[in-house]
Amino acid sequence: MADDGIRILYLGPQGGDTHDASQTEQQSRAARQYGAEFVQYSGSSKGELIEALKDADCAINQGHDFEPSMFVHMGNNGRCKGLVSFGHGYDGMDLESASVNGVVLSNTASFGTEEVSNQTMMHFLVCARKFVLHDKLVKNGAWTREHLPPMGHILGETFGIVGLGNIGRAVARKARAFGLNVIAYDPYRSSWDAKEYGVEIVPTLKEVAERSDYVSPHVFLDEGTYHMFSDDFFKAMKPTAYFINCSRGPVVDEPALIRALQNSEIAGAGLDVFEQEPVDPENPLLKMDNVAVTNHYASYSEVAWERANTQLGEEAIRIADGYWPMSLINPDVKHHSPGRKNPISWEVMMANR
Amino acid sequence: MAEHKVLIMGIDDDDPLDYERAEMADLDVEFVKANPESEGEAIELVRDADALMMRSTPYSGEQVLRAAEKAQVLAVYSHGFNQIDTDVCNEMGIIITNGAGMCMEEVSNQAVTMILCLNRQLIQFNERTKAGKWGRGDVLIEPIDQQVLGLVGLGNIGRQVARKMFNGWRMKVIAYDPYCPPWIAQEYAVEQVFSLHELFERSDYVSVQVPLNKETHHMIRKEHLDCMKPTAYFVNVCRGAVVREVDLIQALREGKMQGAGLDVFEQEPVDPDNPLLKMDNVIVAPHSAGASTRSAWLSRQRASQQVAAVLRGNWPSAGQNPEVASSLQRRDRMQSLEPKLEASREVLPMAVLPEGR
Repeated sequence: MADDGIRILYLGPQGGDTHDASQTEQQSRAARQYGAEFVQYSGSSKGELIEALKDADCAINQGHDFEPSMFVHMGNNGRCKGLVSFGHGYDGMDLESASVNGVVLSNTASFGTEEVSNQTMMHFLVCARKFVLHDKLVKNGAWTREHLPPMGHILGETFGIVGLGNIGRAVARKARAFGLNVIAYDPYRSSWDAKEYGVEIVPTLKEVAERSDYVSPHVFLDEGTYHMFSDDFFKAMKPTAYFINCSRGPVVDEPALIRALQNSEIAGAGLDVFEQEPVDPENPLLKMDNVAVTNHYASYSEVAWERANTQLGEEAIRIADGYWPMSLINPDVKHHSPGRKNPISWEVMMANR
Repeated sequence: MAEHKVLIMGIDDDDPLDYERAEMADLDVEFVKANPESEGEAIELVRDADALMMRSTPYSGEQVLRAAEKAQVLAVYSHGFNQIDTDVCNEMGIIITNGAGMCMEEVSNQAVTMILCLNRQLIQFNERTKAGKWGRGDVLIEPIDQQVLGLVGLGNIGRQVARKMFNGWRMKVIAYDPYCPPWIAQEYAVEQVFSLHELFERSDYVSVQVPLNKETHHMIRKEHLDCMKPTAYFVNVCRGAVVREVDLIQALREGKMQGAGLDVFEQEPVDPDNPLLKMDNVIVAPHSAGASTRSAWLSRQRASQQVAAVLRGNWPSAGQNPEVASSLQRRDRMQSLEPKLEASREVLPMAVLPEGR
């Protein structure tokens, strides 16, 4: 493939704390296997980035600033046909602008499905067993059972999932192993699809709130999901029910959640994400004994991150070589960028190249 | 005159169209039922139709599609849409929808039935026992939980077969599907292999569930069947023409495999003189894999929901030709809707449904 001169441009983190910028062995793996060139971007100005994009077939973004205005230099207006971003969420991305310019966007779908669903189950158990409170009590020398009730049986209780995508389905599978009844609200999934996962689809968000003993959203953040959990939702929940969030902080109206917890409208919460991150040390959620918190690391494990890093490179090669990516996040681009090939397994691409 | 004309081909004149009417109740629709007897007649019928719904009709060829100048959608009631020319539809801006999901339980159950019958030699023993012969003879039955199931195609149906045979029978499941993302294979505990030869070499049972199209026509040939273990079985519940049938017959005659389970044939109805029907190690069914009292109405509900979505200006959830997007205006994503016809939530015989809706 070297003759075709595929070039992948890698935009690394800018002094972030999420990744070691010096190591791109995993991100460049696909390019090396495919005989493509892998170039690390080293510029710092907008002009330099525009120039660099002119010499690349696809870009990989791992924690670099990327303004939507860049899309006008890409896709149908330039050599660089797409952008592959690390992670699941693409809330920072202007999908509309990318699509109209014919820019193909991809994420590293599913890289952390196991990890996020495990984190969710951990928070669920910590809530159900009132672990945070009892850990604190025992360490402070208080050996007591007086705070145990009310405590559910788990088996036969109801777990409500909002968003039955890759992660939601993994949570459903694991929740069913505990003997939980799993219900889900996802207006884009048919009831017969959900049946495959042993999940009952309910038609409204309110029904999830009313019926669930545990609620866990697994949606991405966009204008449709911003603050989808607010006063109405928490007031409809059972006072014995718990709210878990390992998706994105702003899908929850956080002051409303705080009010619900302070007024005992719900029993507690398990949170990996917050509206503002890093979380304000004064945030009342950090002071509550019935709230378990973690610092937005649900997707982390070495295996998951290696997979994400490798997948970044494979998706970039697909886009650069005229395929759709396996995880296309702006399907509307199909109106503006026709004629691509269906995405195909990496192993088959390698065999056919 | 109604806003939308929906032409339904291949349906009884007295069919009440319960599901079609229920799903499109909020739209201004005129339904036209037709059973054209010539291509010319079909061409005249489709000219002013906004939507085409095709059950079984021989007249869905290129000339008919090209005459459908107003059509936004062509809904087939079945899973397979191999009779429809996708390129022509893309060019005409017609969205093709199928009955995805309407019979995945049924078809996967048929595959599992075939696999178990072949493993347990059930059909053969049934005949022997009824003929008064007692005893197993020298037949060996392998422990299925130690065997490998190889799936060609890991879509809706393939995943159900994988789930059932892995969770239920503890089989090792491998699959060849170059279009399946690795994370879906992982979710179903399936090992993806990337060459068809490898799949045929490693499997004790090969089960095929792919759509029939240009790419899959005769995708399985002598070169693949010759790789099989002589103790392995071949199962086909999708479309006959994905296998080159003369090669399959030869492989069975030469003992390249132990036997086969076939729901489908290259020519249907199958020729009574087809050698496959004479072989003791081949078990067969009359393309009945998709059938059940549920799929009978679910296919109609599915097709109707797809057409309704397109007429409302949405993308249908079971669109089969994404390439058509480049010749169409932007549409919104279809939200899954509760079935409009309450009775359809239960498995009821058609006769119980309210009439005249």
